[in-house]
Order: sequence, then C-alpha cells, then structure tokens
Amino acid sequence: MNTALSPAAPAQSPALRAFAAQWQSRPADALWPVREKALQRFLKLGLPTTHDETWRYTNLRSLAAQSFVDAPRKSRSDIDPEQPLSLLGRTEPSVSLLVVNGHPVMPAAGSLPDGIEICSLRELAGLDPDTLRRFLEPLSDADQQRWALLNTALFLDGLYLKITGTVSVPLLILHVAAGDGADDISYPRIVIDAAPGSSATIFEHHVAQGEHTPLNNSNTHIALGRGARLEHYRVYSTGAGATHLDSLVVRQDQDSHCKQFTIALGGGLVRASLEVRLDKPGASLDSYSLLVGHGDRHVDCVNIVTHGAPNTRSTQTARAIAGDVSRVIFNSKVIVDAGAVNAQSQQSCRGLLMSPTAEIDTRPQLEIHADEVKCAHGATIGRLDPDMLFYMLSRGLDRDTAQSLLVYAFLADVLTGMSVASARASIENALIAQLPDSQTLQKFR
Amino acid sequence: MLKITDLSARVAGKDILKGVNLEVGAGEVHAIMGPNGSGKSTLAQVLAGREDYEITGGTVTFDGQDLLAMRAEERARAGFFLGFQYPVEIPGVNNVYLLKAALNAKRRAAGEPEVDAYEFLALIRQKMKIMQMSEAFLTRGVNEGFSGGEKKRNEVLQMLVLEPKLAVLDETDSGLDIDALKVVSAGVNTLRDPKRAVVLVTHYQRLLDYIAPDRVHVLSGGRILKSGDASLAQELERRGYDWVSESQVA
Repeated sequence: MNTALSPAAPAQSPALRAFAAQWQSRPADALWPVREKALQRFLKLGLPTTHDETWRYTNLRSLAAQSFVDAPRKSRSDIDPEQPLSLLGRTEPSVSLLVVNGHPVMPAAGSLPDGIEICSLRELAGLDPDTLRRFLEPLSDADQQRWALLNTALFLDGLYLKITGTVSVPLLILHVAAGDGADDISYPRIVIDAAPGSSATIFEHHVAQGEHTPLNNSNTHIALGRGARLEHYRVYSTGAGATHLDSLVVRQDQDSHCKQFTIALGGGLVRASLEVRLDKPGASLDSYSLLVGHGDRHVDCVNIVTHGAPNTRSTQTARAIAGDVSRVIFNSKVIVDAGAVNAQSQQSCRGLLMSPTAEIDTRPQLEIHADEVKCAHGATIGRLDPDMLFYMLSRGLDRDTAQSLLVYAFLADVLTGMSVASARASIENALIAQLPDSQTLQKFR
Repeated sequence: MLKITDLSARVAGKDILKGVNLEVGAGEVHAIMGPNGSGKSTLAQVLAGREDYEITGGTVTFDGQDLLAMRAEERARAGFFLGFQYPVEIPGVNNVYLLKAALNAKRRAAGEPEVDAYEFLALIRQKMKIMQMSEAFLTRGVNEGFSGGEKKRNEVLQMLVLEPKLAVLDETDSGLDIDALKVVSAGVNTLRDPKRAVVLVTHYQRLLDYIAPDRVHVLSGGRILKSGDASLAQELERRGYDWVSESQVA
C-alpha cells in the first residue's frame, strides 16, 4: 500500500481522485519512486484540455466526471473463442499471446519460438527491477506523454518480451478489452527489448468484447539494440463506444531499423501517440499510419521523431480517410538535434475526405538545429480526383466500384509496406469491408 | 450510329460549343480538325459524359438512344469509347484490373458471362502484341509512369479490348514519334469494320496519312464550319485554318 502520497496538486475531478485512489492500492515495490514521480507529474498536468497544443482536436472533458476502477482480471476461458480474434490468417505460422485488460495470460513453457523470451512485468519487477526501471523512465517531458505517465504509475501487469535472436514467425499480442462496468479502466503495458542484431515482427491487435469496454490507457515501450530490426504493428479495431489512449515509445541504437504501422480501423475514439528517438548513428525508422474514420469515429494520431545522432533516417507516411461525420487528426513532428548532421527525414500525409461533414486535420512540423540535413514534409487533403473518377467511369465501371478502387489505391503506399502477407490481407479485408461495393473490390486483389 | 444536332455546351460559364451538327454512319471514319480552342476536346468530353460540362442545347443520339440522357458508365457499356487526349495516371489501380473490370461491366450490361482470368490474359496479350507494348504494362498502375506515347498506346489497347461501336479518339496522335504513330494507326485500323465507326480528333493531317478518313470536318469557334472528303485535310495542311474561317465569313 502506498499511503505516503500527497499529491502536489489536489485531485479535483472525480477522475483524478479515482487515479489517486488506484495508486493507493498499488504495491510498494522497488519501482515505487519512479512510478510515484510519474503519477505526481500526471496529476500536476491534469487531464488534457483543448487548450493544450497537442490536444486541440480531442476533447476528453467527459472523462473527468468518471470515477474509474480497475478493469477485472480475466482468464482465457472468459474470452469468447467464437469471435474471430486473430489478425493473422490461420495459414500463417505465428505465435499469439493473450492480454486481457492488461493482464497477460502466460503461454505454456516451450510454446515460444527460438529467439524470444517473455515474462510478466509483475514477475520482472520482483526479479530484475533495474531492467524494468529503464523502461519506465519517460523519454521526454512532453505534455502529450501524460497518458504514458499515468500508465507508468498505475499499470498492474504486462508483458516483457526479450528478443534475443532472429524470430522467424510473427508474434501476435492480442489485447482484449472486456469490462464489467462503465467506469472500468485498464493499463496494458508491453515492453519489447530487442538485443543487438536481433530481428522480429510483432503485432499488437486491440479488440473489445462484451457490453462494457474499459477506458484503455495502453503503453508500449520498445528498445532496439545495435543493428536490431523490428517490424511492429498496432491495430485498433474496437467498437463504437470505446475510448483508447495509446502511447508507443521507441528508442533506437546504432544501425537499428524499425518499421512501424499504426492502423486505426473500428470505431470510437483513439488517440495514438508515437515517440521515437534515433539517438545513435545509422538508426532508421519507417513509420506508416493508416487512419480510417467513418460514422462518428475520432482518430487522433501524434508522432514525434527526434534525430539525435548523425546519419539517422526517418520516414513518416500517413494516409487518412474520413467519411460520415468522423474526424481524423494526424500531427507529426521531426526534431533534428544539434550535431545530427546528415539526418534525413520525410513526412508525407495525405487525407481523403469522403463526406462534406467529415474533417481531417494534419500538420507536419520540422524543428531543425543542425546543418547539412535533408528534411522534407508535405500534406495534402482532398476529395477523390474527379479526373481519375471520370476516366474509370468512361471505361464502364460502376461509380461505387470506381470510388472504392480509388480509395484502395490511396491506401496502397501504406499497404505495400507490410511484409506479412496474411496481416496485409486481413487489414485489407477490414478496410474493404468499410467501402461501398466491397464484394466487387475483393476481386481486385 | 451517331447523330449530333445543334449541340451547345458551356464549360466554367463559358460557351464553347455553339451548335454542332454531325452525323457519323456505321463503317465510317471521320476526322474533326480545327485550331486550338475550337472546342474539339470539349465535344469529345461532352460525348463521353463529363458531368461538369453543361449542355445548353441540342440532342445527340447514339445507336438510336438518347446519349445525353445516359451516365458516362452507361455510354461506355453501350459501346461508346473515348480515347483521352491526356490519359490520367491512377497509381495503385492496376492497368489489367481496370481493363478487366471495364470489359466485365460491358459484358454484364449485355447479359454475357464475365470473362475468366485465363481467357482475359490471352486476349490482352494478343492486343498488346498489336500495340507493341512491353510485359511491364501488366504489373503497373493505370498509366503510372508511362511516357506520353505509352499512354496513347494504352488508350488504343483499351479500345481494342473493349471493341466499342463508336470510338472518339481525342488527339491520340499528338506527342507520338513516327514509329509510334504507325503502331497506333495500325491498332485503330484493326477496329475498322462495317459495324463500327471512328471519330478522330486531331490537329494535324499527319495521322490521316495512316488512317484514311471518309469525311473531314473543320471545327472552329464551337461550330463545324466546313466538311468534305479526305482532300479537305490536305487542303487545310496547305492553306491553314484561317482559310476556312475567312472563306466562311466571306
């Protein structure tokens, strides 16, 4: 029990009082100081308002009135096995790990492929708190990191994945959100620690089950050792009522490469942040975002990539589609520190508006403190190109088919970057299912 | 086949076509020539069903049907084809898929079964041979990264696959070197038969050396000012378009 807490700022809203109360129930272990610091910082920042620069477009005011409680721990048997939960096709060899409301269901010994070791964070906190502590320190003090701070303070358990070699099959972490009440909150936390020279492909797929979807405050922290390679996917496919605040942090050592996909399908509100530090020479990142809004979906994506060493490279490719009354936001920022000579970065965001009541906001930013860098950014938002549409109609295609094909083509830059065929296929399927004339479109693939 | 009567059209608030009359019979090849800005491309786009072009008067019948009452895709399925002056690039949409979808749309409209993949590939390879196109075409996006000449070949290839009753080719010859011009012309000539018609929209007489027209029309200021046989094209080449405008005024 943590009874020593006296928050720097009094917790004013029911939500902040609830977070403080949750803290009281957390175990006082070796990580207590770093977690308390995170909580203090969070409580000081408070819930974001639309006056905060990076929260301008996402209003979380309704959360303030909620008295949150921890979402229940559930076991595999509580999860409906009939619901199609896997992102990867049955034909693709893969290994899946189940995490329910942040609590991992540990796999049987010997069921993991070579090159990977896992343990629960609860276990790691007892066995090797120093290792875990390295992944709890915030990467920056940026205000958009506040939900990561809250997760650091309040996570109950999670998964630590140590990649020690070449993992030959994709690893799927299935996050299931399944609450018992309207005030449930969960703090899933994943740590991926890739040893020098290792390589892996890891999916995190977020789904929801049951009537109540907890407020999901998830966090993933990735560290890539020298020369390590990782392809990481986070896919959101929760339902219309869900609110998901997800933070992803990547630290990269020399000559490491990270390919990261953020894919927002489904409904509800998603705030996805990505913070990457390329702190050693030769580190490179290719980030792809595929953000699809329909109905009253709200997707807010914030990327910050910092080039902290010479000869680092990053690309950010975002494709946003908004229909109905949905809203999609994509803000990206590249910071090139002094001394990071020959840094190369590219930001490309394209938005496609499918209805007059939808909205897309995008802002690529650059902050350069070094000479001899090559940085480019571009953002366009528009409707389907009438010339392309007319060309296809003039060849006899249905309007619906032509439009869907153009939408599909619009997404191609992101889809073609995916190396796992069955994941690409199922993501494409999920996308296509949301387009008009999806049956005809299936034939085009 | 095609009967245009007193057709007027406006683009972005500006009257471009001001009473066009033209009749094209089955089995015929017509050439429409004229100076820049005379309305040639507007006529082609209006016939294809471009929606942002406003029809302000006149009628068009195609194969006995009211063409202007049909949507662009219906016109295509009924056997109308426009070869674009500037074919658009559509990255991400595969050439072959588009063509197959187009052919199947037409077949469905005619109550015919869809073409199977194997049959289609054989058909397209045969037509590609006529157009002397490389295999790379099969894997690329629609017109993606094509040179001007390749785009024009692709237009004619599409025409050969779709076998329209009436093809309007809008400056399909522009930007082609002499070898490409021969290939494109040969492609168009393979489509000549008593049941089809072709309308060539062109600046230059050069194309007509390879595709002999039955009738030549001069479009200027939104009207057909003069019509004649193939010799009119040669006279135009010699005397220029001003001669037609002047002789009309006189």
